Amino acid sequence: MTRQLLVGPFNRVEGDLEVSLTVRDGQVAEARVNSPLFRGFEMMLLGKDPRDALTITPRICGICSVSQSAAAALALADAAGATPTPQGALAAAILHGVENLADHVTHFALFFMPDFARPAYQGRDWHAEAVNRFTAMQGSAARRLVEARARLLHIAGILGGKWPHTLAIQPGGVTKAPDARDRVRIIATLRSFRRALEETIFAAPVEDFAALATLSDLEAWSSGDAGLFLRIARDLGLAGMGPGPGRYLSYGAYPLEGGRASRQGVLTGGVPGPFDPAQVTEDLSHAWMLGETAHPARGRTVPDEDMREAAYSWCKAPRLGGRVVEVGALARQAVDGHPLALVLAAEGGVRARVAARLLEIARTQLWLEDWAQALDPGARFLDPFELPRHGEGVGLVEAARGSLGHWLRIENHRIAGYQIVAPTTWNFSPRDGAGVPGALEAALVGARVGEGEETPLSVQHIVRSFDPCMVCTVH
Amino acid sequence: MSQIETFYDVMRKQGITRRSFMKYCSLTAAALGLGPAFVPKIAHAMETLPRTPVIWVHGLECTCCSESFIRSAHPLAGDVVLSMISLDYDDTLMAAAGHQAEAALRDTIERYRGNYILAVEGNPPLNEDGMYCIVGGKPFVDQLREAAEHAKAIISWGACASYGCVQAAHPNPTRAVPVHQVITDKPIIRVPGCPPIAEVMTGVITYMLTFDRLPELDRQGRPAMFYGQRIHDKCYRRPHFDAGQFVESWDDDNARRGYCLYKMGCKGPTTYNACSTIRWNEGVSFPIQSGHGCIGCSEDGFWDQGSFYDRVTDLTQFGVEANADQVGMAAAGAVAGGIALHTAISALRSAQKKVQDRPSTAKEEA
Repeated sequence: MTRQLLVGPFNRVEGDLEVSLTVRDGQVAEARVNSPLFRGFEMMLLGKDPRDALTITPRICGICSVSQSAAAALALADAAGATPTPQGALAAAILHGVENLADHVTHFALFFMPDFARPAYQGRDWHAEAVNRFTAMQGSAARRLVEARARLLHIAGILGGKWPHTLAIQPGGVTKAPDARDRVRIIATLRSFRRALEETIFAAPVEDFAALATLSDLEAWSSGDAGLFLRIARDLGLAGMGPGPGRYLSYGAYPLEGGRASRQGVLTGGVPGPFDPAQVTEDLSHAWMLGETAHPARGRTVPDEDMREAAYSWCKAPRLGGRVVEVGALARQAVDGHPLALVLAAEGGVRARVAARLLEIARTQLWLEDWAQALDPGARFLDPFELPRHGEGVGLVEAARGSLGHWLRIENHRIAGYQIVAPTTWNFSPRDGAGVPGALEAALVGARVGEGEETPLSVQHIVRSFDPCMVCTVH
Repeated sequence: MSQIETFYDVMRKQGITRRSFMKYCSLTAAALGLGPAFVPKIAHAMETLPRTPVIWVHGLECTCCSESFIRSAHPLAGDVVLSMISLDYDDTLMAAAGHQAEAALRDTIERYRGNYILAVEGNPPLNEDGMYCIVGGKPFVDQLREAAEHAKAIISWGACASYGCVQAAHPNPTRAVPVHQVITDKPIIRVPGCPPIAEVMTGVITYMLTFDRLPELDRQGRPAMFYGQRIHDKCYRRPHFDAGQFVESWDDDNARRGYCLYKMGCKGPTTYNACSTIRWNEGVSFPIQSGHGCIGCSEDGFWDQGSFYDRVTDLTQFGVEANADQVGMAAAGAVAGGIALHTAISALRSAQKKVQDRPSTAKEEA
């Protein structure tokens, strides 16, 4: 028996999303992912002062705005041949790390876990606990974490003036030189966030979760909401649900003085390899966009106003060396070589993505604590920079949801080209010219759909396990 | 109407204690610039008036307004307000999904016909029959019209809904327009900013829910109590401006001394908002405090005014007042609003200070 299902709009994802499914014999046989929201940032940036990218691109997204501003600042720095001062880079990393950490916690507590509080799961032995902890906006864990997260973002306030849409990150560093009092306050705020994590998600020292190395270590973890998640994952078989392409990409997170805090590279079938930026292309065959497949440095954004039949999304299809890759916390941690992440990457499903995100929460907390200690209020935080009359620049960063790249071209002091490839553009891309589906489209194939289920639960879990950010996807 | 609960009922269901409730009432009175005498009035209103339902819809946007909102200064205020509005419809945070969510929207409209407030985040794109923003298979502009038809009043959250914001920047590829260009027959209150300050959002919504009317608006339809003054008027770096002490380049000695950022392109002198008084992220800071000029994100057209780092040129040292007022056009209500604002802000700030000093330090030491 074959039927067509249109799932969407999805709430509890950032932005709008629609998935159309062909269901055969109780399983998804084919999936098409549509990003139904287009604003055209890449068109608006043309002709503007290059520095305005620092203000305009963060407004692509209200939850990863620091990632966008960090990528824009790096692209400008690249074009100007500038390097941020070491302490400027450190302050920028703290700002960015705080946002990524806040995003991961939001995803877990507000977007992902509430699905297990649904009435459809009544009768499971973990259901009452899931309801108590994660009912949308009322669960005890959800409330506690929203509050902790608001307090964590004080750091973004201290270093960036305001969040969201922080302005402080510049090509030469950051505009805010924190003083000794700011440093102490940042350290204290991180300490209180650690306490929140150690009382809710982990209910154990953060270090313990970061030190997990094998699947059996992970499966033996029973405390906190992480333990609750792992119990649910075992009961529902989330490990085998929604496998990705098995190829992972990370640009390496947090550029610091001595290099990036996490490794850059590609992981294919468990084998690490280098990342070659020249291999990135965007395919337009199934997007309502006009033009040829191109490297982002040469790419253009011309929406197809006829919305031709052969296409089904505003999202372009990025490929690395012509192949689909998955990005995100799992990719980042695996490419960095963390032992637990490596085994999770081999597993590759819903459980792996969420567990890797939890792992990254723990590791980011530890990084942030070290970085805050290393802040030196006496040092220089910002160097002036000069943009060339003509030039090109690339800014590659790791947002919470994965690899984010900005490709910039300047002509006569004006922006002549600006292309953005966001994490969810990679993960939720449509098919390419060869008909190869994007990472989510492939992950959905095989998902179980119950008789009469109109918004299949398995599909909800798989979609949310990627932590999509649809407003970044198409921009 | 009898089937609709009161605010107090809703709060009790959320487990909010009587003591917290009274605290919330005083805080609200303070935030709105109403003296302590108003506290029992607010409490009475909340105990007896039926809860005003709020429908919150999202168009072409980045969700920064919601993000700001859920981080309100006073955790209690955030909690209370969220519990008041969350029960109805909000597609980013609500529990229901897909078609259920669409049905919830229709039900809410039907059930509270003529009685609900429609809060709009983002804006509708009109090009290609609205195809650039599709919600539930239909253009967002249709959802907006449907939801607006039976709304009592509309709140335009943020620069997008109020003015267009960055997606309306030249060449405005999707023809994104502010809400008032599509809905012309309803009272609309504009709460601009990218995003607006959380306390301003909760203040506006609490006022409307509690008193069942719009707060006093200026000529641009903004609540006068929060948009009656320029960033510049209450900027802590203002004395440096008056003394002619400016930052000349990033992180120079003058920057370290906290001099005025006017020469670095600060738009504070022409921007009406409460950033320099209420500040951001629970009163921690605001852009100027982080050493970056104001970009004027609560002003109409801020996205297409030349570079954000260009100096404001239609401004002379001694002509500041007249000139900036022309730009802002917010003369109406400025005096009354100014006084209210002053009271509101000092009260709110002292309330915030107490809150920050207590629970957080208590927790950090615990």
